[in-house]
Amino acid sequence: MKKNYKLTGKLRLCLLLAGLLLWQASAWAASVRGRVMSEKNDPLVGVNVIVKGTSTGTSTDGEGRFSLNVPDGGSTLIFSFIGYVSKEVPIGNESEINVQLVADTKILSEVVVVGYGTQRKSDITGSLSSISADQFKEQPVNRLDQVLQGRAAGVQVTNASGSPGGDVRIRIRGANSINGDNSPLYVVDGFVGADFNNINPDDIASLEVLKDASATAIYGSRGSNGVIIITTKTGKKGSMQVNFGARFSSSEILKRMDLLNAGDYAEMVNARAAATNSNPVFTQAQVDDYRRTGGTDWQDEILRKAGGQEYQLGVSGGNDKTTYLISANYLKQDGIINNSDFRRYSIRSNISSQVSDKFSVRLNFTGTRRENHNTSGTGARGSALGQAFAWAPTTPVYDATGNYTYRDPTGSIFENPLALTTDADYRTNRSIVNLIGGLRYEFIPGLALDVQYGVNYINQQDKSYAGPLISSYLPRAGRSSGEQVTLQNTNSLNYKKIFGKHSLDIIGVFETQKQIGESFYANATNLTYPAQSYNNLALAASNLIGSGYSKWSLMSYLGRINYAFNDRYLLSATIRRDGSSKFQGDNKWSVFPSVAAGWKVTEEAFMKSQNVFSNLKLRGSWGLTGNQAINPYGTLSSYITNVDDAGVAFTSGYFTNGITNGIVLGNPGNPDLKWETTEQVNVGMDAEILRGRVSLSVDYFVKNTRDLLLSQPLPAYIGGNNILKNIGEVQNRGWEFSVDADIIESKGFRWNSSINATFIKNKVVKLASASDTIFAATEFVMIPGQQMAAFWGLNYLGTWKANEADEAAIYKQKPGDAHYQDLNNDKVVDSKDYQVIGNGMPKTTLGWNNTFTYKGLSLNVFFQGVFGFDKLNYTYANGIVGSTDVRQPTFAAIKDRYIPGVNETSDIPAFSSAKENFYTQSTRFLERGDFLRMKNISLGYDIPKALVKNVAAIRVFVSGTNLLTFSKYKGIDPESTSNGVGDIVQNIDHASYPNSKTYTLGLNVTF
Amino acid sequence: MKKLAIIFLLIATAGCKDFLEEDPKGQVVGTNAISDIAGLESALTGSYKGLLRTWARGFLTSAIQGYGMGADDISTISGGNKADFREIDQLNVTSANPRLFQIWSGCYKTIQGANNIINNYQNVAGDPARINAIVGEAHFLRALGYYWLVRGYGNIPLITTADFSEDLLTIQKSAPAEVYKLIEADLQKAETLLPDKKRDPGRPNKGSAKAMLADVYLTEGGWPMKDVSKYPLAAAKAKEVIDNKDLYGFDLVPDLATLWSGSASATGTKEEVFAFQTSENFGGSTNSFYGLPAVPGDENGWDDYLAEITFFNNFPAGKRKDVTFHTVFTKPDGKKVPWQQSLAKHPYYAKFRLADNTKFTSSMPVHMIRYAHLLLVYAEAQARTDAAPNAQAYAAVNAVRKRAGLADLSGLSKTAFIDAIVDERAWEFAGEWNRWFDLLRLEKVAEANANKAADDLKPIGDISKSNYWYPAPIGDANINPNL
Repeated sequence: MKKNYKLTGKLRLCLLLAGLLLWQASAWAASVRGRVMSEKNDPLVGVNVIVKGTSTGTSTDGEGRFSLNVPDGGSTLIFSFIGYVSKEVPIGNESEINVQLVADTKILSEVVVVGYGTQRKSDITGSLSSISADQFKEQPVNRLDQVLQGRAAGVQVTNASGSPGGDVRIRIRGANSINGDNSPLYVVDGFVGADFNNINPDDIASLEVLKDASATAIYGSRGSNGVIIITTKTGKKGSMQVNFGARFSSSEILKRMDLLNAGDYAEMVNARAAATNSNPVFTQAQVDDYRRTGGTDWQDEILRKAGGQEYQLGVSGGNDKTTYLISANYLKQDGIINNSDFRRYSIRSNISSQVSDKFSVRLNFTGTRRENHNTSGTGARGSALGQAFAWAPTTPVYDATGNYTYRDPTGSIFENPLALTTDADYRTNRSIVNLIGGLRYEFIPGLALDVQYGVNYINQQDKSYAGPLISSYLPRAGRSSGEQVTLQNTNSLNYKKIFGKHSLDIIGVFETQKQIGESFYANATNLTYPAQSYNNLALAASNLIGSGYSKWSLMSYLGRINYAFNDRYLLSATIRRDGSSKFQGDNKWSVFPSVAAGWKVTEEAFMKSQNVFSNLKLRGSWGLTGNQAINPYGTLSSYITNVDDAGVAFTSGYFTNGITNGIVLGNPGNPDLKWETTEQVNVGMDAEILRGRVSLSVDYFVKNTRDLLLSQPLPAYIGGNNILKNIGEVQNRGWEFSVDADIIESKGFRWNSSINATFIKNKVVKLASASDTIFAATEFVMIPGQQMAAFWGLNYLGTWKANEADEAAIYKQKPGDAHYQDLNNDKVVDSKDYQVIGNGMPKTTLGWNNTFTYKGLSLNVFFQGVFGFDKLNYTYANGIVGSTDVRQPTFAAIKDRYIPGVNETSDIPAFSSAKENFYTQSTRFLERGDFLRMKNISLGYDIPKALVKNVAAIRVFVSGTNLLTFSKYKGIDPESTSNGVGDIVQNIDHASYPNSKTYTLGLNVTF
Repeated sequence: MKKLAIIFLLIATAGCKDFLEEDPKGQVVGTNAISDIAGLESALTGSYKGLLRTWARGFLTSAIQGYGMGADDISTISGGNKADFREIDQLNVTSANPRLFQIWSGCYKTIQGANNIINNYQNVAGDPARINAIVGEAHFLRALGYYWLVRGYGNIPLITTADFSEDLLTIQKSAPAEVYKLIEADLQKAETLLPDKKRDPGRPNKGSAKAMLADVYLTEGGWPMKDVSKYPLAAAKAKEVIDNKDLYGFDLVPDLATLWSGSASATGTKEEVFAFQTSENFGGSTNSFYGLPAVPGDENGWDDYLAEITFFNNFPAGKRKDVTFHTVFTKPDGKKVPWQQSLAKHPYYAKFRLADNTKFTSSMPVHMIRYAHLLLVYAEAQARTDAAPNAQAYAAVNAVRKRAGLADLSGLSKTAFIDAIVDERAWEFAGEWNRWFDLLRLEKVAEANANKAADDLKPIGDISKSNYWYPAPIGDANINPNL
């Protein structure tokens, strides 16, 4: 009876919490509480506490405390924790039981997940960083990139777009591939190639970053970018545990650009007209009027404070045989730009059962829905933000009729910034289901067969609408529907055995994966009823439809042997043979081997007498990995068939709504394409000193990527486009350091600090094109000896000064005009004077995480630094040169320009018609992007148990994200870029969507 | 349980044989694409698309005006944001000029598509009349592309294949003589293959090919070929079309105002000996040099191009002048401003205004050869061929002048007549990618740029033959050092 009563009480609590209401305190059975500490008197977090012989149990909280209701008949508590010796304690009549657990020297610290298996951390010979849920529980993380950012050496995370749910670039040990995606491979619970966007960080139990070839070669053709293995939480044996969390946040733009006010703008426009032989645009009366009214502040119009909320509810538990975990999460984040938001709904259920001694089954189910609304694009000249920097402050938001002003008479030629936010409706809704089912059978102790099937299903629905004001009164709408199914089967046979001083672990795996994508779209232009938006595409002047299909498959055989002698000398070898549908003939198959060795120096007899190192291990590895950096059908010559690029009106659109669709020659195929191969060598050291208070890891690596799949641009005179080739070599080499130290541990106060730093040199070693120079974009060049993202442009020397009139005249210029270096000294500044002017790819990244705890209070301060890169600030360029689509300068800096006879020292060119003054691809707009940012600061408080009866733990926290940035960069955000997450073209800032400052208030309840 | 596990393993490994085969359904790949008439027709459409991809490349933006902006009829604003137009206007062109690249890449994309058809149509079986029409259009398009390129750039890569090969990356440039040889051969094939009637308003017929050939011959008579033997060929070829204008469906539009109405009535007219058609219903096929690009800043326009003052002042008054220029601007508040007091102090082109000038999208045609053009080709070529202009030459030019609201010409000497035709061409085709080509073939670039008004942009530096041809675009020159 007692038991039943308790359950209904808990269920009621669940329901109440789900409704975000107060709960009604209910009577609980008399309980046992206590605290679990380590030998060093550190609280142990997450220790399983089970009443022996029952399914009742709990785990310890952040302070190592637990409390538990003992059912009838319960007499003993079992405390178990990975890496520690389990302990049984009789309850007797005690109401408080404090326990100290002893580290299990045989297990020697924790087990970590490696590709297709697990390994004792102390036996690892490769380079690997582990992140556990504990490390980020202090911070309001809602996506995986925030978990990774700054926490693992060698991992670089860049929030390229600050839009909610926006693009993020994640790189492990730099970028190897020019054509391919350099994102790491994500493996979630054994499913290879998962999308990190779909992972709810609250579900992560542990995360391993595999960096060197010894660790990644087991992933063969997909391993060269590093691998991130995520293991999700499972239920623990014992009674049901409920966890609830809620977070509320408010975000705003990091800073605003200093734009001209309307009065200054009008005067500036007139001054420019006077300097270029045109009549004044504004009368003096108008100027005076603008001075009085101030005009329009377009940044104010489109920016806002944005709210966010997140709720998390998890239920887990289990009995002797079966465990379960069910968790649900809801996230809503508004964008700082008007009318944009992101929502995510996710649910997970992990169930596993030990059916018999030899046989176990498991099923992990995840459902995710992501809804993006007006968040697309990483910002661009035509975006609302871009236009807020372009529209004249003299132009009112509304015209005389009360509608948004349709055209800017003076400034931009593009659409009204506010209309761009309100008259647009772009939605992407993705529904993702991931199912992983597996079974494991142990033939004899140590020999087990594991069979796992995975299905990943993505349904993507896009809806778009551009209303009359932003479509030249040709309102258009579109719908598209896509479906992608990925099927994976993994069969592995594993044998583990210890013979005397020899320890052996062998695994053999056969795996297949295939992916089929299908899509369909329909667009309509000149809608009859614009208000119907994308909901009635038939009623329009013209329609187009299209569909697509794509498929690839991969088949693999792989194996690994781990061997240890005397627990001192470690050897690991892996091999994987991959076959891919994307290549032809003999190029389909390739082999990727690796070997690694380790030496636990502290295990040697001669080390026993020293007491500096409590642990010291040296390790080294070599291996090959690949990158399938091409899309399906990359070896074939395909035609372009979409209507915009291939359709022709043979009769004027005034007489027909139709169009004749054709086929346009696209990229020529190259049947000889083969895998990109990365050869990586790594040497490293792990050490612990001061009896484990300080631990240190150092790694040095060299990655050489050869047979680079490179999309070589073809000249326009043979039809343009690109051809894919295996040419060239790229090298990444660098150092990684990470230090973790308990700096202060006294009288309940603790300061733990961890720093990691990565130094990477990226270099194009060779290219095979005719001129050994490949232009990845107008602004980027690849030249052997330079890094991959080398900026290309003119070298700006300032303005021609008054005493340089004669020299300026040689260049058909005059003082005040822009003066560029004439590299070849041919007295003309032209394309032959372009040179490498900077580097877009950061060389150094730094993460510094500090946790201060005192009793129930904890303060976390986390810094991230990125150094050694340049940014091409086109936002500033566009705002100051007054060219093409932004007809007049808008930035206040224009007031400091060169003015003959008034200000002849300025390096901002004078108003003139000299074409050089309009060049933007030069050092004039290139800036250092280096920044150090306080990524997060949060203060948490565990409410004392005494105040919250019947609840295991309540924690509240406040947190600030991106509150401080130290950078000389003049744009809004040195981190965001307009080029998405590519590596070759990066760090151009053209009104990119900046990251925001965010304040979060949060609550976590466990019971 | 053990059995169960093994069964699972067996299922997993079954059916592996074709597992790694590519399955390119939904892709149009390789030469299979043009194995029948439908495929050939689609590839032909794709060839047109080379020149007709709005914003990306080709003739559908004011890049087409930019291509001839070095002439004395058209210019851009002196200050402000039009640096890339300005450098063309001031004969100070750089290889990075994006407007010129639009024309270069558009012509070559069309040429690539045409090469694909010309080299592969032999594999297609079907109605010979239809195949002839398709192949004829392909030859016509290739000739058109090279004709624009050779006049703008002079020495150019002469590409007759659609397939990529490494040697094309270092190909040498060909001299104009070789390019003109191919153009003539293509047009001669086109005139035999094309039908008498256009299949659609946006395609050529036999008469279109003949008319373009006549124009090519006339150009070859001047710089740089200076082959006067082409003048009689030009006259004869133009005459063939004029004498058969009803067969081909060509004539002058009686009222110039119709031709420049900026609306549906100006499209698909008999004046279109050859014109590309466009559709504002499709972003990639809309005509974007009408409307806002032609509108002055005073009227919230883009100021892409405007009329030069000396040219405007010398333009004979009359109906044509009224239709051609826009001289009084209406500000948003309703105030009227004469061009002299406007922001840019220039008259603008009325020809390229739309019914609704807040738009930059339209379905207006892109005239390549108007019937008036053909008449004037004939008149000039005949006069240059024979001792004196004949009656048909006078009739031709006077038909154009009559519509323009001008008096007939008569009794002129050979030279005076030719000069009158050149002027007539400048006026009739003001702003229409004609004048610059005339100045080149007649070697009059310096002369025409000598008499700029105070407020007109002036050339930067001295004018020589080095200003006649544009430098190869930087992107291509970066790849191929032989450009």
